Amino acid sequence: MKHRVIFLAGLFLLTTFSIGQKSRHIYNVNSERTIAGTIRKISTEPRYRNSAPFVVLKLEEKGTHTIYNIEVSPVWFYDMNFHKGEELEVVGSFYLSDRKEPNLMAREIRFKGKVFLLRDKHGFPNWRGGRRQRKGRRHGKNMKEQ
Amino acid sequence: MRNRRTEGTKRAKIVVLAVLLLTPVLNADSITISTVQNVTDLLFRRVTTADDQDSSLSFILDKNLGRFSLFTSGNYSYLLENSRENFFTQDLGLDYLHSFGNKTALYISVLGNGTFYKSEYSDFNSISLSAFTSVKSYISQTSILKSSYSFIYRNYEASLLDYWSHDFLLSLDKYFVTGTTAKAEVCWGYKHFMNLPQEKEDDFQNGGAPFSGKNGNNEQQNQGHLESPELVHGKGRGIQFFSVSSLLTQSLGSKIGLNFSIMRQWILSGNNPFTAVRDFYKIENPFYDRFSWEGYHIEGQVTMLMPWLIELETGYEYSDKRFPGIESMSLMENPLGLTRKDRRVEVDVSLQKNWARISIFLSYAYILNHSNDPYFDWSGHFFSVGFKWNQPLGGGR
Repeated sequence: MKHRVIFLAGLFLLTTFSIGQKSRHIYNVNSERTIAGTIRKISTEPRYRNSAPFVVLKLEEKGTHTIYNIEVSPVWFYDMNFHKGEELEVVGSFYLSDRKEPNLMAREIRFKGKVFLLRDKHGFPNWRGGRRQRKGRRHGKNMKEQ
Repeated sequence: MRNRRTEGTKRAKIVVLAVLLLTPVLNADSITISTVQNVTDLLFRRVTTADDQDSSLSFILDKNLGRFSLFTSGNYSYLLENSRENFFTQDLGLDYLHSFGNKTALYISVLGNGTFYKSEYSDFNSISLSAFTSVKSYISQTSILKSSYSFIYRNYEASLLDYWSHDFLLSLDKYFVTGTTAKAEVCWGYKHFMNLPQEKEDDFQNGGAPFSGKNGNNEQQNQGHLESPELVHGKGRGIQFFSVSSLLTQSLGSKIGLNFSIMRQWILSGNNPFTAVRDFYKIENPFYDRFSWEGYHIEGQVTMLMPWLIELETGYEYSDKRFPGIESMSLMENPLGLTRKDRRVEVDVSLQKNWARISIFLSYAYILNHSNDPYFDWSGHFFSVGFKWNQPLGGGR
C-alpha cells in the first residue's frame, strides 16, 4: 500500500514541471503537397531543442528524382520499420531548408497498405501519448482478446 | 486477515483513481475520446453461448515534456446483459526517447495501471507497474537490430495471483530489393507467482485460498468467487518460456502489404499452478497468457488502401497450444487424464477511415476453438464498431 502511494506520488510530481519546446518551422497547411517515392536514407536527427530526436527519411520522388528530407516524428520510429528501397507516399508541409534543400514535415504516411496519421490538418502532432496511442490497430481484437 | 486486505485495497483504489484522474488534467496537450460498441454471441470462452453487447468509452490525455511524454488513459466498459462484470481501467505512463548518433535510438516507457471490476471478477482487480525499454539500431540502411526488455509487477485483490515477470526480446530484419522484409526473433520470459504456498494443503489449512470451483454449469456460477481459479499445485512458483519466430512482409507499392509469421514456443520450466476459469475476454487471464502454453502460432495478414483511403485489413491465425499443468475435464468435472490442448482458428476483417481528427472503424472476427477439454470447445462471432475523436489542447507546430 505504502509503495503504491509513493509510486503514484512520484508520477504526480513529474507532471508539475515541464520543459519548453521550441521549433524552427511551423506546419503550414497552405504549403502541403503529396510526394510518392522511394526511401534512399534513414537517420535520426535532433530537429527541435529539448525534443526527442526525429526520424528523417531521404525520399526520392518518382518521376522527378528530387530528393526530399521527410521529417517523420519521434516515437513512430519504434513502430514503423523503414528500410532503404521501400516505397511510400507522404502528405506534408513543404519548406526549403537553409541550404535550399526541399523538406517535408509529414502529416500523413501511406505505407504497406496502411495510413499513419502523424498530425492533423492543422499540423498538431498526433504522436504524443507514447505506445499506448498506437495499440490495437486490429480493432476486431477488442472483444476476442483474452 | 482477508477483511483488512479488502479495506486496504479499497483505500488504494481511491488514491489511485483520484491521482490518476486529476494529474494530467493540469496541463494536457491533447485529448482523445473514443467509444467502441462490441457485439458477440460468446461473451465467455466456453461451450455454452452467451450473447452480449459491450459499450466502452475511453479517453487519452497527453502532455509533451521535451524528450518525455506523459499520458494517462481511462476506459469504462459496460455490458448490457452481464452488468456485474462492468469494469474500469486507468493508466498513467511516461515515455522517453533518446538517440545515439543517427542510427540508434533508446526508448523507455514506465506505466502504472489500475483495473477494477464491478463485482463478479473482483478477484482480478489489480494494480500494476510495468517498465519497457528498447534499443533499435540500423546496422545498415536495410537491416534493423532491435532488443527490448519488459518488466511487470501486478498486485491482485486475490493475492495468490500476484506476480512479477520479465522478458527479453531480440530481433533482426533485412529488407530485400524484391520488396520483401524477413525478420527473425527470439524471446525469453520468466514469470514468478509471489504468494503461492509450498503445498496446496497448507493453503487450505490456513484458510488463505479464496478460490473454489472451475467449470460447473449451474446458475451459482455467476455469483461470488465461483468463477475464480483453483490452485492445483503450489510447487514451482516460476514459469519460464522461450520462443523463436520469423516474419515475412511483402509490400506491393505503398498501397498493399502482405504479412506472414510463424512462432514456436516452449515452456522451459514450471507449470501453470491454477486451473482455468470461465474465460472472460476482459480479464488479463493468467491461465491463457504467454506463460501458460507451449506450441506454435501461424498468422497471415493482408492490408490494403482502398478508394477514399479506406484501410482494409484481413487476417487469418492458427494456433496449436498445449497447457502444461492443466488437466482436461469432462463436462461433469471428471478428470480425463489429458493435458489441455487447444487448436484455434481465427479469421478477421476490418475497415477503417481516418479524417483529420476523427476515425471510424468496423470489424468482424470469427474464432473456432477445438479443445480436448469439452468445456473449452467453442466458436464465436465478434462484431465491433468504433469512433475516435482527437482534439489538441495545446500548441502545435
